[in-house]
Amino acid sequence: MVDTTTQQNINKQLFQKLELAYFCVDHSMVVKDVSSNLSQYGFTDVCEGGNIEDFVDFMVGLDSHTEIDLPLVASPSGIPISVSLLPSEEQLTVLIANASVQAEQRQKLQQQANENELLVYQQKKLMAELERASAELERKNLQLEEASRLQTSFLSGVSHEFRTPLTSIIGYTNLVRKDLRHVSEQMVPRIAKTDDSQSYLRAVQRSSKHLLSLVENLLDHGKLDSNEIVIRPKRTDIAEVFEDAAILLHPLSTTKNIEFEVETNFSSPAFAVTDDSRLRQCLINLVGNAIKFTDTGSVTLSVDWKDDILDVAIRDTGPGISEEDLQKIRLPFWQAADTGKAGTGLGLTITERLIEMMGGELRIESKLGEGTHVHFALPMPAAPEGDSPVEQTNAEAVPLKLLLVEDDSDIADLVWMMLSERGVDVVHVANGALALDALNDDSFDIVLMDIHMPIMSGYDAIQELRARGDETPVVVMSASAMEADREKAELLGCQAYLTKPVDVDDIMNIADAVLSS
Amino acid sequence: MSKKKICMVGDFSVGKTSLTQKFVNNVFSEKYLTTIGVKIDTANVGHTKLIVWDVAGRDSLSSINASYLVGAAGVVLVADGSRPHTVDDLNDIWSTVTQRIGDVPAVVALNKADLDDWGVGDDKVTEFRSLGWDVFNTSAKNGQNVPELFERLVEKINA
Repeated sequence: MVDTTTQQNINKQLFQKLELAYFCVDHSMVVKDVSSNLSQYGFTDVCEGGNIEDFVDFMVGLDSHTEIDLPLVASPSGIPISVSLLPSEEQLTVLIANASVQAEQRQKLQQQANENELLVYQQKKLMAELERASAELERKNLQLEEASRLQTSFLSGVSHEFRTPLTSIIGYTNLVRKDLRHVSEQMVPRIAKTDDSQSYLRAVQRSSKHLLSLVENLLDHGKLDSNEIVIRPKRTDIAEVFEDAAILLHPLSTTKNIEFEVETNFSSPAFAVTDDSRLRQCLINLVGNAIKFTDTGSVTLSVDWKDDILDVAIRDTGPGISEEDLQKIRLPFWQAADTGKAGTGLGLTITERLIEMMGGELRIESKLGEGTHVHFALPMPAAPEGDSPVEQTNAEAVPLKLLLVEDDSDIADLVWMMLSERGVDVVHVANGALALDALNDDSFDIVLMDIHMPIMSGYDAIQELRARGDETPVVVMSASAMEADREKAELLGCQAYLTKPVDVDDIMNIADAVLSS
Repeated sequence: MSKKKICMVGDFSVGKTSLTQKFVNNVFSEKYLTTIGVKIDTANVGHTKLIVWDVAGRDSLSSINASYLVGAAGVVLVADGSRPHTVDDLNDIWSTVTQRIGDVPAVVALNKADLDDWGVGDDKVTEFRSLGWDVFNTSAKNGQNVPELFERLVEKINA
């Protein structure tokens, strides 16, 4: 036990150490006692006999009978204080202690915690917004994909509708030209007349082929937009691809009286792995453009194949392209205003995309009055040995029995005539159901099958045929150039897929290949 | 002149200090400085001297210290209109108030009305009004409805 004096000394030291101040009020809130250090907390003028609410704001509303602790109150001096109200029967004692240290520690901790929480909230909010934006973007993408699908489907429909009559126009024109040649050989006096007719027919053919290429470009553009074009690399004699392109384009350069040269560092056979039809399409587009826009001078196609890279350059002595037009030339549907050359403005766009899909990049350098230099390089590995293509036999020597399934009578007649001329025994039926009947009654070497037909479609007929265990080779001949149709034909085990208008040579070649294998 | 104690209560960072400072000293700062404990300010509204207790906001570390509420004649319930959960939290905060000091006059400040991302629906406002609270869309930044908020509370206290 400590005596009273010692206790008073301890209290005094504690008061000083904790910087304790105090005041006492009676139960009417009249000030009875005030410590001398109360003013250090900004409570000035507190005097005995006055009402405490007139001097100390935090006492407003409080009563003298309730014990309360009020931690961390900002005092008028700015020093944080802890306030304790200690009621007794006689009075209320209010103790005030310096709480600077606790306030400082709490401030740091609380500030950091609150800022972190705000940050997390903002992040969550941003994430939610991002998710909303992402969902919206996905929705828009789906809409765009659907629009693109509809566009492609529309183009496919249009293409199909165009191809069917064009097949007839081009095919029958060919037949009429052949007939006219025969007539001119036999009837010399009428030769002038047949010459005129030949020239008219050539014009019809040119226009038909142009119309066909426009339709094909439109369709390809739609398919590129919806990622429907697939590059199908296979063993290819690339020398043949360039020869084909040269043969096809030479007449165009001859008509314009300009030189057209092809320079290659390889000769046939030069087997590489590539998509021959897409490579051929690129060459025809680029060289065709060069010839189309060059009115005097020459066009040179230089090809270099080494180290598994095919390097292609096309130079022309045409009018060249202005810097401004060079920026726009790759845009779809764009055409120079003053050239007067017809086209869709899609050829270059399609070619550039195809080259990219094959792993290359198209570069175009040109200056007005200095011609144009177009260049691209494609990765093109050599094809492995021992996988030579089937040697083609003389088609006319093969006693081929072919079932032609085609609902369009014009096209059926045309194909029948063309194949019959080659000695093929052709039986024609007009739909899939009749084809099944014919195959039930007779045997055929090969079936040439259209797809979209009334009563029973080509696909249904092929499916039924295979279900019966009949493995007669089937070659699809369709006006649809859609990848999905081609894939379906492959799935059904068809041997080949030909797009209308078909060439009789293509049919014979495929028939040879199918039957030989 | 009568003296009345009122308390500013709500979640942290809803703008209790900013509203108080705008009302008492007509100042506003964009800087966020969290309140520790309680700050006490005074302002005259008509013949009433308001003793404004700006109480530290409720947060993840601590709830409102109900001792600060003792003796209050009314409360301003403050929420951040751009953080909808602070508006929902007012119901809990009101429970804390009533448990300690009973059903005192109250007004609601849906603060930060100057911001674009406002997230308070009409249904919430209707719900608050059905509890007898006057609801103000306030902005400590531009002063919108700040005097009206305090004046209305004083009216309710003196009614």
